[in-house]
Amino acid sequence: MAERMIYLDYAASTPVDARVLDRMREVAEMNCANPSSTHAAGREAQAIVADAARQLGNLLSVAPATLVWTSGATESDNLAIAGGARYRAHRGKHIVTMKTEHKAVTDVFEMLAREGFDVSWVEADAHGRLSPETFAAALRDDTQFASIMFVNNETGVIQDIEALGLVCREHEVLFHVDGAQAVGKLPIDLGKLPVDLLSLTGHKFYGPKGIGALYIADRPGCHVEPILFGGGQQRRLRPGTLPTDLVAGLGMAADVAAASIESDLAHLRSLRRILWDGIRDIEGVVLNGDPDGFPGILNVSVEDIEGESLLLALEPLLVATGSACNSRTQEPSYVLRALGLSDDQAQSAIRFSVGRPTTRDEVEFAAGHYRHAVARLRELAPKAAV
Amino acid sequence: MSADPYNARVREFFAAPAHAGRLAGGVTVLADDQGVRVALSASVADGRITALRFRAWGCPHLIAAGEWVCRHYEGEPPAALEKFPTARIMEDLAVPTEKTGRILVVEDAIQSLGRSLNH
Repeated sequence: MAERMIYLDYAASTPVDARVLDRMREVAEMNCANPSSTHAAGREAQAIVADAARQLGNLLSVAPATLVWTSGATESDNLAIAGGARYRAHRGKHIVTMKTEHKAVTDVFEMLAREGFDVSWVEADAHGRLSPETFAAALRDDTQFASIMFVNNETGVIQDIEALGLVCREHEVLFHVDGAQAVGKLPIDLGKLPVDLLSLTGHKFYGPKGIGALYIADRPGCHVEPILFGGGQQRRLRPGTLPTDLVAGLGMAADVAAASIESDLAHLRSLRRILWDGIRDIEGVVLNGDPDGFPGILNVSVEDIEGESLLLALEPLLVATGSACNSRTQEPSYVLRALGLSDDQAQSAIRFSVGRPTTRDEVEFAAGHYRHAVARLRELAPKAAV
Repeated sequence: MSADPYNARVREFFAAPAHAGRLAGGVTVLADDQGVRVALSASVADGRITALRFRAWGCPHLIAAGEWVCRHYEGEPPAALEKFPTARIMEDLAVPTEKTGRILVVEDAIQSLGRSLNH
């Protein structure tokens, strides 16, 4: 493609920050040892891992010992949900989540349903928000586990995790939060939030792909069963040799995020406002989700436009029609359908997601290009009656 | 890298469909099925289709097929509209088999146009 591409898909993945790359290269070049080895180089690798845990713990305001390294948010979600629900199965078989969760969550719940767990799928309101009252009404005496995402990956809707967590504490329900879109992007103080388990991944906040973590609160009854077996690493919760360079990269990404989270948010708010102001007056355009959601994501639909053609007409903008994990299916987004959008509305939905490197010029171009694409496709379309 | 879902011909026809539009005073038909719409309008002189234009609402393959048929039938006699080269279009535009139904909507439009012009 000769045209310069404009990347507006930061909710799918972010570029690795230069400081993170430097740290990863430094670690890869200086230490090839297995962090489980007891010799000097192994102990040095252990120290690198410990330092990364301190950095990530600092970002989340938690002790490093509460963090378990994984391959990413999908594995963290699997470990938290399958491991958590199975660990607490003696307390009941009822588990709760939302219809608008990521597939890494919903698929695990469906797997647990096949194992005999009783799953309740709570519904969001038209903006994608879950009220504590709706959530509390779904809990029963035998509810033992719940999972609610912090920031929705398609719409950017932010859930009131503190209020939902308090509901869980009141009902003695283990509370997992999929924080893939929130960690490193929103200030999160797990020392104060009533969250038992939190999943995260490096590549959503300028760290490397292939590395993530699960936070497991240090409180009674908060534990998970392992889902992988084969070694004693990480207190047997997640066996396997740790990729020291990736872990170090995630630690550095956490350090960078901790220093820049407020300025990043201000930047994203400005970009999102420019983008939305540039397209909001197009006839039939609607913002999907919460207008006050995470500023890095803007999800819009437009009436009487076919989604696949819109996506192609939007090149060289690199945007998403749904979450990257299911965008190849060309099925209307189940998340948007759950918010009450029609198939046609959901199919025309475009998710713009901006990030730290995004410029004002890029979003201004994107808004103008979106306007042009919609106008062109409308001009090309026949009226219903000729 | 996953394969590009559109070949060069589809990209060319989608980006710059030279035959998009409607002919004022021409014969116009609409096919509306399978969740897509295709309109064709034609002018005929001296037993030949002198101009053929299309409008379409649907995926890029459908829009490209609209341009393809306009290029194919322009200059032909209206009787040529009775034959629709489904296989050639599918091959030229590398249309996925699950989209065959959309190409058949284009065929419906061509057949409808043929009936209008030949009566």
